[in-house]
Amino acid sequence: MDSAAQRLTLPASVESVALFREFVRSGAVVAEVPSEELEKLDLVLEEILVNVARYAYLPGNGSAEVAFAPDGPGKLHVEISDWGNAFNPLDAEPPDFSRGLAERPIGGLGVFLVRSLVSDIAYRREQDRNVLSFGFPGPGA
Amino acid sequence: MNIETEELGKAVLVKVSGRMDAENSHEFEQACEQWVARGTKHLIADLDGLQYVSSMGLRSFLSVAQRLQSESGSLMLCGLHGLPRQVFELTRLIGLFQVFDTAQQALATL
Repeated sequence: MDSAAQRLTLPASVESVALFREFVRSGAVVAEVPSEELEKLDLVLEEILVNVARYAYLPGNGSAEVAFAPDGPGKLHVEISDWGNAFNPLDAEPPDFSRGLAERPIGGLGVFLVRSLVSDIAYRREQDRNVLSFGFPGPGA
Repeated sequence: MNIETEELGKAVLVKVSGRMDAENSHEFEQACEQWVARGTKHLIADLDGLQYVSSMGLRSFLSVAQRLQSESGSLMLCGLHGLPRQVFELTRLIGLFQVFDTAQQALATL
């Protein structure tokens, strides 16, 4: 991400999600991301940041950074980082859609939703941090 | 998120409005659980006023539905539209629920 990117670092907690969302939303409005896409952007950020808050660290023990930059008309490039143990959320198995209600696992839908709503999602380990990058909106927008 | 409940004869209507996310989805589960604990078999979630639901909200819907099904009951959905409908469709949860346009249509099946 280039130096023109805007960055915000906050404690990795569920309570920080709303602040991160406001931060990226303001950039999305300036970048003229279509307004009907903004709720989807909220959803993507919540799914990723809740995962970081729950799994990257012991509770109350680390921070997350969200960075974004305009990436062409109506588009944003977003990167979300944490300094927890190496963990690639994209390694998660896709949900098993063949199962009926009683057997349908309750977890695993968040990453699937994120993949459905963004473009070019990628994970990289960069020195001591996990970085998840993606374009928004996704190709279906 | 705001939750209102109303007894409708054979079912209880649970009207959910606003945003259901990681911070508050447990409130929906708790509201449903109170009725299930009192012996209610069928819940109808009216989602006409629901603007947003994340995977944590989906977990709550799934959890309540599984609990009711295990007791020969059901969680039916009505008024699903916009992004919440898209989220139910993308995750293919929509096929696991009985989905109606209105609460009256859901009630008529009981």
